Amino acid sequence: MVTTRVRHKWGMVVDLDRCTGCQACVVACQAENNIPINLEQHFLQRRAIEWIRIERYWEGLEEAEKTGDLSKVKARFIPILCQHCENAPCEPVCPVYATYHNNEGLNVQIYNRCIGTRYCVNNCPYQVRFFNFWQPTWPESLHNQLNPHVTVRTRGIMEKCTFCVQRLRKGGRKEVQEGKRLDDKEFDAQSGMFAPACARACPTDTLVFGDMNDPNSRVSTMAKDNRNYKLLASIGTEPNVIYLKKVDLDASDAATH
Amino acid sequence: MQAETPRSGRKALLIITGVVAGLLFIFVGLAVVPRVLAHYFWPIERWYRSAPVQPIDFPHPSHVQVGGIDCLFCHRTVAKEAMAGIPPVEQCMFCHKIVAKEQPRIQMLASFAERGEPIQWMRVHRLPDHVHFVHEAHITYFTRKDGVLPSQVCSTCHGDVGNMQRVQQVRSLRMGDCVDCHRQNGAPTDCFVCHY
Repeated sequence: MVTTRVRHKWGMVVDLDRCTGCQACVVACQAENNIPINLEQHFLQRRAIEWIRIERYWEGLEEAEKTGDLSKVKARFIPILCQHCENAPCEPVCPVYATYHNNEGLNVQIYNRCIGTRYCVNNCPYQVRFFNFWQPTWPESLHNQLNPHVTVRTRGIMEKCTFCVQRLRKGGRKEVQEGKRLDDKEFDAQSGMFAPACARACPTDTLVFGDMNDPNSRVSTMAKDNRNYKLLASIGTEPNVIYLKKVDLDASDAATH
Repeated sequence: MQAETPRSGRKALLIITGVVAGLLFIFVGLAVVPRVLAHYFWPIERWYRSAPVQPIDFPHPSHVQVGGIDCLFCHRTVAKEAMAGIPPVEQCMFCHKIVAKEQPRIQMLASFAERGEPIQWMRVHRLPDHVHFVHEAHITYFTRKDGVLPSQVCSTCHGDVGNMQRVQQVRSLRMGDCVDCHRQNGAPTDCFVCHY
C-alpha cells in the first residue's frame, strides 16, 4: 500500500501583538540553517545574512521630538522573513531557473543551480534574499554544531528562508509512514517536531506555522482575523506570511478595530 | 619617419594576434582535447566502478552468503534514518570475539578494538553535499510497493553486494539516474525534494 501524497500549502501567521522583539527566532534560525557568523563589518556593508530579522520602529518619535515628551513613543517590532510570495518578483528574473514556486507554496532557492547574478535580491521588495559574498567559515569549536540536513552554502550563491524544509521533508516521510495528514499538533511551538526553528523558538507564540490548505488549521483560522494584513500588499506579491496588526487599547486606533 | 609608424603598429598587431592564437592553441590542447577524448574513451563506468581498497579487506560474501547475516544487522539505521550507517568496531567484535579469531584480518580488527580506534573505511558511494538522499524513504516505498523485506530493496541501487568480494558502485547515481527512477515510480521530481 502506497499512500498518496497530501497537497500542502505552507504558510505562517505573525501575530505582532505578541512579539516582544527578543530575537530568539533570529538565533534559532542562525543555528538551524548553518548561517555564517555576521560580524559588525558585514552589517555596515549591508552584507549580513539573516533569514529572519526583527525590524524595530519607534512609533510617534517625530512628534515626541518636537514636544520633548518621550513617554508616548512606542517600540514596534516586526519579524521579517521570506514571504514565500505567490507572485514572487524574484522568480521571473532568474536566468537559470534556480528560484521558483513549488507545489507546496514554497518559494524555492536551488543552490546548485544558482550562478549568482543577484537579480533576485535586487527585485525582492522585502530584502530577504542574501548573497554569499564570502566563503563562510566557522571556528573549529563550531564545526560539530553545523546541521547535517542543511547544505552549507558556498561563496557566490544566493540563499533565503526555506521554512525549514528539512523538517517539512521529515514530516512528509512521517506522513507516508503513518498514512495520515500532519495536523496542527506537529507544528505546535511547544511539542511540534516539524515547525520551523523560528516558530519553535518563539517564547510568546508570535510565529505560527501550518498548512493553509487545511481549513481547520490554526494558521487558516488566524489568517481570517480582522487584524490581518500583508506586507506591501499594494504591489500584489500575495505573500504566504500574514501579519496580524498590533492593537493598543489606550490608543485611538482601538476604536477602529 | 611618418611612414614608419603604421608599419610598427602592424607589427604589434601581428605579435598580439600571434600570442592570442598561441594561447588559444595551448588552451584547446590542454583543456578541450582531453575532455573530448575522455568522453569517448573514458566512459563514466570507469570512474564509478572502481572498488577502493579498504584498510581491512572486508568480504561481504562470507558474511551474507555463508554467515547468512541480514543487511540490517550491521547497517542498522537504513530503515529509520537518512544514512545507512557503518557498524562500529564493537559490533564486529560481537561475533569476532569468538568467530575466526586466528585469521590475520580478524587479528587486525581486534587490535583496532583494543586501541578503541575506529576503522577508517574508504567510502564507496558518495553524493555531493547539496543532495539530500534519505535511505528510510526509499526503503519504506519499495518494501510496501513490492511487499518485500528491507534487505531485499538494497540491491536496486547498490547491486548484489552480497556477492562482491570488494564493494564497488554499480550505478552512476548521477541526477539523471535518480530522476529516471523517480519518474518511473511517480515520485516527485521537484528540485526541492533533494536539493535544499
